[in-house]
Amino acid sequence: MKKKLGFFGVLLVTALMVYIAAFGIKTEKIKLYGAPDIRFGIDIRGGVEAIFQPVGIDTKPTHEQLEAARAVFETRLDQRNIVDREVIPSTTEGYIIVRFPWKADETEFDPAKAIEELGQTAKLTFRDAQGNILLDGQHVVNAKPDRDENNFPVVSLSFDDEGTKIFSNITKKLIGQPLSIYMDEENICTATVMTQITNGQAVITNMKSFENAQKLANQINSGALPFSMETKTYSTISPSLGTGSLKVMINAGLIAYIIICILLIVYYRLPGFVASIALLIQIAGQILFLSIPQMSLTLSGIAGIILSIGMGVDANVISSERINEEIRAGKSIEAAIEAGFSNSFSSIFDGNVTVLIVSIILMLYGSGSLASFGYTLFAGIVFNFIAGVTASRIMIYSLSSYKFLKKPALYTCLTRRVTL
Amino acid sequence: MKEGKIIHFYKNRKIFFAISAAIMIIGILFSIFKGVVLDIQFTGGALLSYSYDGEIDENRAGDIATDILGRPVTPQLTESISEGTKKLVLNIAGKSGVDPLDQAELEKALKAEFPQANLELSEAQMVEKFFGDKFMKRGITALLLSTALVLVYVWIRFKIVGGLSAGVTAIIALVHDCLVVFFTCVIFGLPIGDNFVAVALSIIGYSINDTIVIYDRIRENAKLYSGYEVETIADLSITQSMTRSIMTNLCVMISVSLVYILAFANSIESVQSFALPMAIGSISGCYSTICISGPLWVMWKKKKGENIITVEKKEEKKDTKAKKYYY
Repeated sequence: MKKKLGFFGVLLVTALMVYIAAFGIKTEKIKLYGAPDIRFGIDIRGGVEAIFQPVGIDTKPTHEQLEAARAVFETRLDQRNIVDREVIPSTTEGYIIVRFPWKADETEFDPAKAIEELGQTAKLTFRDAQGNILLDGQHVVNAKPDRDENNFPVVSLSFDDEGTKIFSNITKKLIGQPLSIYMDEENICTATVMTQITNGQAVITNMKSFENAQKLANQINSGALPFSMETKTYSTISPSLGTGSLKVMINAGLIAYIIICILLIVYYRLPGFVASIALLIQIAGQILFLSIPQMSLTLSGIAGIILSIGMGVDANVISSERINEEIRAGKSIEAAIEAGFSNSFSSIFDGNVTVLIVSIILMLYGSGSLASFGYTLFAGIVFNFIAGVTASRIMIYSLSSYKFLKKPALYTCLTRRVTL
Repeated sequence: MKEGKIIHFYKNRKIFFAISAAIMIIGILFSIFKGVVLDIQFTGGALLSYSYDGEIDENRAGDIATDILGRPVTPQLTESISEGTKKLVLNIAGKSGVDPLDQAELEKALKAEFPQANLELSEAQMVEKFFGDKFMKRGITALLLSTALVLVYVWIRFKIVGGLSAGVTAIIALVHDCLVVFFTCVIFGLPIGDNFVAVALSIIGYSINDTIVIYDRIRENAKLYSGYEVETIADLSITQSMTRSIMTNLCVMISVSLVYILAFANSIESVQSFALPMAIGSISGCYSTICISGPLWVMWKKKKGENIITVEKKEEKKDTKAKKYYY
C-alpha cells in the first residue's frame, strides 16, 4: 500500500514546490519567496554596473579608505532613493563594484551622469543650526567606532592641528547648541556640543548601535579621503532591453519544456511521463534556490536553468534506456526497474559530479554573469539528484505496482538491446 | 525480441578522425584569415547602443561621436526582426572605456542632432584594458582548472579500465568540443568573451558526462564479458549507450536552439552569442563521445599491447600492481 501511494506523495510534493515557486508563501510566520519576488540582475531589469577605481593616489587604498568611499556611495544612492543596490569594496584589488537598478518609469534618469556624480570626492562639512559652514571635513584625521566606559557605542574623532584650533573655537561658541555634519548637502549627524574641546579629540555619543557608529565613522572619514573615485569600466542596460531578453528566455524555456516532455513521453512512455514530473521538480527547486535566499537571477543564470534541464533529461534517459534493456533481456517489470536504476546510478553520479566541479569553479572564478550561471547550474545538479534519481525511482516503483500499468510495452522504447 | 547489431566504431575510426581533422583545419583557416574577435570584455574597449525611431544618418552620428570622444567611431544600424526596434550601435576604437561625462555629452549632442528620432540609451559597455586582461585571465584559469580537475576525477574513478587512458582520451574529446565551440564563434564572427567561457565550461561538463557514460558501460561490460577484445567491448558499449547520447543531446539542442531562434528574432545579441555555440557544441559533444573518445581509447590500449581486458570481479579492489597481471 505504501508503495502504491508513493507516486501521489511525490506528486503532492511536486505540486507544493511548483505552487511555492510560482506564487511564494507569505504569512506572518513564514515567508518563502517565489518567482514573483525573484531578484533580477541588472542585465534583466536594467541598471548600472560599474567598477570604481581611486584616482589621485599611487598606492592601493587602505581598507578604511575603501570603507569610507563605500559610505559615500551608499549615502549618495540613499539620496537618490535607490535602495536596492550592491556596493562591494575589494580591499585586495583596491576597487569598488557598484550595481544599481534603473527603473523603467524614470525617464529623466541619466545613468552616465549618475555614475559620474557617484565617484566625485565627497564634501564633508561641519555646520551650525543655521547651516553656516564652520569646518571642512578635510581636517578630520580619523573617525572610528568605539565604546564608552558604559559600553555604549560612540564615534571618536580626531582632528589635525588646524582642525583642532578651529574645532576648539566652534565648540566654545556652540556649547549647548547643535552641531551638524553634512556629506554633500545631506545631514548625516546632528549632535549637541557639551563642552569646549581643545585637544582635537571629540566623541559623538548616543549612537543607536555599534553598526550605526561604524557607518557614521565611515561617512566622516570620507571627508579626508585623498582621492576621488573614477570609472571607465561600466555597463548600462536599459530596462526595456533587459525585460525583452527575459521574455525571450522564459518563452524559450516553456516551449523547450513542452517539446522535451512530448519527446520523452512518446519515446519512453511511462518512464518518460515520470521524467516530465521529475523535470518539473527540478525547475521548481531551482527557482526556489534563487528566490528564497534572494539571489539575483541574471540572463546567464536563466541559461544555466535551461542547460540543467538538459542534464535532468539525461539522468532520466539513462534510467529509462536501462529499464528498456532489462525488459528486452527478459526480466520481469519489477526486476527490470530494480536493475535499471541500480545499473544507471554510477554513470549518472559520475556525470553529475563532473558538472558539479565545473559549476563550483564557475562560482569561485567567474565574475558577475559567470558566477550566476554557475550558481543555477549548481542548483540544477543538486535537484537533479533529488528529482532525476530519487523522485523518479519512487514514482516508477509506485506506478508499476498498479495492475493496469503492469504492461512491458509501457516501459520499453524503440532502442534495441545489443549484446555479444 | 529482436536484438540490435553492434556498430563498428573502431573499424571506421579513420573516417571519424578525418572528419574531425577536416573541421579543425577549416576552423584554423578561418581563425587565420578571418581573425579571432575578442569581446571588449577581454580586450578593453567601448560600445554604445541607442534605440531610435524613424531614420538616422549613421555616418553623421559616427562623425559627431568621433568629434566628441576624440576617438574613431564606427557606427552601425540594426533592426530586430520580430518587433522592428531599431538601434544605432557605436563602436568606439581603442582599448579603454569612455568617461561617463563624455558619454552624457555625446548623448546630448546626438539628441540635438536628431530631435525627431526619440533616441534612448539602450546599452553601454565600457571596459578598461586592465580589467579586460583580468577577466580574460580569470576565464582561462576557470577553463584550465576545470579540465584538470575533471581529468583527475576520471582517472581515479576509472582505474579499472586504465584510469589514465580513460582520462586522457576523455580530455581529448573535450578539447575537441571546446575547439568546435571556439571555431563556431570565429566563423560566425561572435566575439570571444564571458559567454564563450560559459559555453565552453558547460560543453566540458556535457562532453565529459557523455564520455563517462560510455566508460561506465565499458567498465561494466569488461566485467560481464571478461576475455573479449577491447575493440569489441568498446564498440558494444558505445552502441549500447548511443541512443541515450543522442536523446540527451537532442533535448539540449532543442532548448538551446529555441533560445537562439527567439533571441535572433528579437535581436538580443548577448543571448545569441551564447546560444549558437552552445547548440553546435552539444552536437559536437555527442559526436566526439561516440566517434572519437571510444576508438581513441581502444587505440591507446592496443598500442600498449593490452588487446584483451580481463577483469575478474574479485580483483576489482586489488592494488595496481596486481591488476597489471590480469590486463
